[in-house]
Amino acid sequence: MSSSDDIARVRETLLSRYEGLETKADILKSPELKELLAGIRDVEPSERSAYGQAVNALQQELKEKVLSNMHEKSALPSIDVTAPFDINGEKPSLLPSENGTTHPLTQEIATLSDIFYRMGYVVEESREIDDQYHMFEALNFPKGHPARDDYDTFMTVEKDSEGEPFVAPAHTSTMQNRILKKYHANLEKGEAIAAIVPDRVFRNEDLDARHEHTFYQVEGVYVAKGVHAGMLIATLQQFLQEYYGKELEVRVNPFYFPFTEPSFEFALSCPFCEGNDSSCKVCGGEGWVELLGCGMIHPNVLKAADIDPNEYTGFAFGCGIDRLVMMKYQIEDVRHFESAKLDFLRQF
Amino acid sequence: MKVSLNTIKQFTKVDLSVDELVHKINQQLGGVEDVIDLGRRYEGAVIARVVKCEKHPNADKLSVCEIDDGSGQLTQVVCGAPNVREGLTVVWLKPGATVPATFNDSEPFVLEPKELRGVVSNGMLASAKELALGDDHSGIVELTDTDLLPGKTLSIGASFAETFGLDDTIIDIENKMFTHRPDLFGQLGVAREIAGIQHKEFKSPDWYKNLPEFAIGEGLELHVENKASDVVPRFMAVAIKDVEVKPSPLWLRCALVAMGSKAINNIVDVTNYIMLLTAQPTHAYDYDKLRGHFLGTRMAQAGEELPLLNGKTYKLDESDIVIVDGEGPVGLAGVMGGGNSEVSSDTKNIVLEVANFDMYAVRKSSMRHGLFTDALTRFNKGQSPLQNPNVINLLMMSIHDVAGGAQASKMFDETTSQHTTQQVTASDEFINARLGLTLQSNEVNSLLQNVEFTISAADGERTFTAPFWRTDIVDPEDIVEEVGRLYGFDKLPRELPKRNTKPAPKNASQVRKQNIREMLAKAGANEVLTYSFVHENTMKKVGQDVEHAFKLSNALSPDLQYYRTSVMSSLLDKVPMNFRASHDAFALYEIGKTHFKGEMDEAEPDVPNEDTHVALVLTSGNKNATGSAYYQARKYLEQLTSLDDVHLQPLSEFDVSTDEWGAQLTSAYAPQRSAVLVKDGQIWGVIGEFSEAVKSAFKLPQATAGFEVHIAMLQTQPGGYRPLSRFPSTWQDISLKVANDVNYSDVYENAKRAAINAAPEVDFEIAPVSIYQSQDDTSHKTITLRVKLTHHSRTLTEKDASAVIEAIASSAGESLQAIVS
Repeated sequence: MSSSDDIARVRETLLSRYEGLETKADILKSPELKELLAGIRDVEPSERSAYGQAVNALQQELKEKVLSNMHEKSALPSIDVTAPFDINGEKPSLLPSENGTTHPLTQEIATLSDIFYRMGYVVEESREIDDQYHMFEALNFPKGHPARDDYDTFMTVEKDSEGEPFVAPAHTSTMQNRILKKYHANLEKGEAIAAIVPDRVFRNEDLDARHEHTFYQVEGVYVAKGVHAGMLIATLQQFLQEYYGKELEVRVNPFYFPFTEPSFEFALSCPFCEGNDSSCKVCGGEGWVELLGCGMIHPNVLKAADIDPNEYTGFAFGCGIDRLVMMKYQIEDVRHFESAKLDFLRQF
Repeated sequence: MKVSLNTIKQFTKVDLSVDELVHKINQQLGGVEDVIDLGRRYEGAVIARVVKCEKHPNADKLSVCEIDDGSGQLTQVVCGAPNVREGLTVVWLKPGATVPATFNDSEPFVLEPKELRGVVSNGMLASAKELALGDDHSGIVELTDTDLLPGKTLSIGASFAETFGLDDTIIDIENKMFTHRPDLFGQLGVAREIAGIQHKEFKSPDWYKNLPEFAIGEGLELHVENKASDVVPRFMAVAIKDVEVKPSPLWLRCALVAMGSKAINNIVDVTNYIMLLTAQPTHAYDYDKLRGHFLGTRMAQAGEELPLLNGKTYKLDESDIVIVDGEGPVGLAGVMGGGNSEVSSDTKNIVLEVANFDMYAVRKSSMRHGLFTDALTRFNKGQSPLQNPNVINLLMMSIHDVAGGAQASKMFDETTSQHTTQQVTASDEFINARLGLTLQSNEVNSLLQNVEFTISAADGERTFTAPFWRTDIVDPEDIVEEVGRLYGFDKLPRELPKRNTKPAPKNASQVRKQNIREMLAKAGANEVLTYSFVHENTMKKVGQDVEHAFKLSNALSPDLQYYRTSVMSSLLDKVPMNFRASHDAFALYEIGKTHFKGEMDEAEPDVPNEDTHVALVLTSGNKNATGSAYYQARKYLEQLTSLDDVHLQPLSEFDVSTDEWGAQLTSAYAPQRSAVLVKDGQIWGVIGEFSEAVKSAFKLPQATAGFEVHIAMLQTQPGGYRPLSRFPSTWQDISLKVANDVNYSDVYENAKRAAINAAPEVDFEIAPVSIYQSQDDTSHKTITLRVKLTHHSRTLTEKDASAVIEAIASSAGESLQAIVS
């Protein structure tokens, strides 16, 4: 009868034989191992599973030894890492300059940042792990608020100091509170807080040609005295006209976000067909493209950054960058952006 | 939220065409997702009477009928329903009509005259199922006067859709828009808004506005107690005796179907209908199934089990609010009723409940149990407790209308406190300033009064009292939104903010990254963006320990299990794919973030530290490539930074056991062909070729190498400019033969030091020319350096150069046992 003692005994035998073998892989062909494997079916059903696992573990151990030996043997010789090139080698060369590209998304982030710089906005970066305070609370989503469900937010196993999971930001608005605090002094100087945050955000969604779990968003924040909702519409219109290089119509529809009041969904007239093509791929023939969410910053969001909402008002917007770029180049599948396919990247 | 235009028109006048109305709703209420012309589905459905009904000559189960459709001529229809008989008023689907239940199918069933066992049938007599009004297919629909809404008549030949209100347009508005508007989850609330955006005055019906007086019913013993009053602000209940449970009148079934619900029985249908109308969920219990004649609320006990109406049993915990009878739970509050107290066909007495629950508590229950219902959609928006009396009163009257019965207990009203309407004070200036408008007081008033706000003025400030169903009016900004929306956001003046001419400073980090991108692109490399998350297997393949990575708890895909601890792990995945796509030689780079569990941000210690890395992987593709890919990677690194002040420490000499971060960063690399990058005594990155295990796990081409470096190491100031000398430079080569284990950098650094010592006033440039090894002596190598000398105040001679070369030779001889060759 087979037992765990047998396995231990065979293991000893095989390990010592392994050391002497010329062709290490031969150890896997040992008759003792084959016998153990074949013997699994003769073991009492109650013990078979445990026994089988032990035999498989031994086989696995041997396989790994053989594999790592193989890797050791095929390993290349040591080199002088402080040298600029190989012994007897030629000086290394770079790839042809014309092959080089930057990513279309980072290109467009540079473009839109430049437009906003010219409009007097500073540019800030966002985070990839944040706490729920910045994702929700500071933006007037109290704990348990149903609007939290609208953001399919990735959560981590690890918890923040309040015992809540960290999150992968589902919008760049996570930076709003930080920006309002960082540039608070502008207000006292009679200047505006004007900032954009173009950066990476995440939603827990299934992938398809129009949905990515990882994408880019540009957040805009503007706070000063006497800012009104018409200024928000005008600012976005100016930005989009500059970005697409043509006159565009825009419209706002009422929407709901906890962090703005009033809130809008913002649409622009289709920059491609201008409403003249009923089969337009960009606007679906509707002549309008729904582009972003925006609104007047909620007084609670201003208060969370120690700004008096009776004295100052402001607006904020969040616009998907992938979408802007897809429209600009008529890219058909959002998944190309993170695919790292050279055939895609070298077109930009 | 499905809105029935016919229902809306019961409450307010709509003068606009459907297109105009939808446009206006989009602009001033919320995004319309769909517009369904329900009437089209019922085209060709006509009310008819069976005048004659005889057995089919060739089929036992079929009848041949002559029907009167009001045209003056009788039409022959073959019918298979067991209940067909002379004198019935029925729904006839004419030849040419589409069977409504198949209307949205890919191949709708269009009727035409057809022989059935030798007898021609002109169309068909319809069952509820064929009319898409329920599952009942046991017989045809029998129409009687009790199926009609008051005011309608059954007339032969009339359109079925018109008679039963199915000549309707359903406007489906995105729920998301109404997250803060509990009242808009009812037809009544939407009707009010539709009046408001047309600038029409709306008057809520009396049954909704006037507080009812309740009778003191008697006949059934009922005890009610709200033990969870912290999370149940109001709990109203009343017993009704002697109801008759049966199918609802057809108008009601039609109305439910039009609004996206379904018919069950008259009691349940009325509770649903009232909810669809008022947004307030209501529930009916079978009185005789409530043990102890008791209905109440409490928090659940951990481990308690509750079978719900969907047939599943749920395990509760202390955070669930439950409805209980005398012995245990009979419903999960705000979410779903219990199976054990369900109203069924043999129910005689019922208890009606209209309650309010804490929106956060019910949402939490629903999320935890994965249960989402129409009631929950409304409760988790926070319904106003002030509408409960009106709603339960309407519920009682409606039950009486469709099921008979009489009030059999007092009206229980377990309420915690005095619920009040919301009041907000704001001035016209406040409102106008935020909208950029110059509205007069009376204009503001009229916009808001149209939707039943009451307004009182004192000292320039005005007090806006929201009607009782509005729970969202809290801040003056809420009044701003209301005014702007009802006025029309499209009419706001579009003007840019006034600004000063101060330039916005550039973001240094963004500038640095942009420089890196441009330098690497100029060097022929391609920027990629890859996910911030990696699969556990990817981490294991590069030899990383997942214990150091933040882990996602709810990712839909296993590809997104961990936050990456190095950018390289994602890049390696992308090499073989491009190689297979016939790209031979390429370099991919990414600027990305990494996280290491346990490291917190220095400036903001509540959130994890984020490092930004630049990683590049290159492959020369060719399987038989000679020369080490390492040196090519190094060349790329030198595009980004001078390596003069970076120490390349062989990875084989790096002790990973004392540096977890370093171990994680370097695990993929072959120690004998890689280096860690040390600057100012700190490790900033790694460069090298990949270990055999990694190459085989990722199926990398043989000649593959890369680097990953913290962006802070590349933080270089603009290079210092050196004025050009008026005097020509001179140069000389020196070849130093050293033992194989002497590092190039030692030879180079030694030469540099010696040169500077020998001629401190001279500028030097020392560059490698070749590293040669003879086949006959593989234990030595000869390093040839070119030394270029420049003086700023005189012409250098060959003698000057030779002195420096000699100094280098002698120093190398002393400290490195080098021989000049």
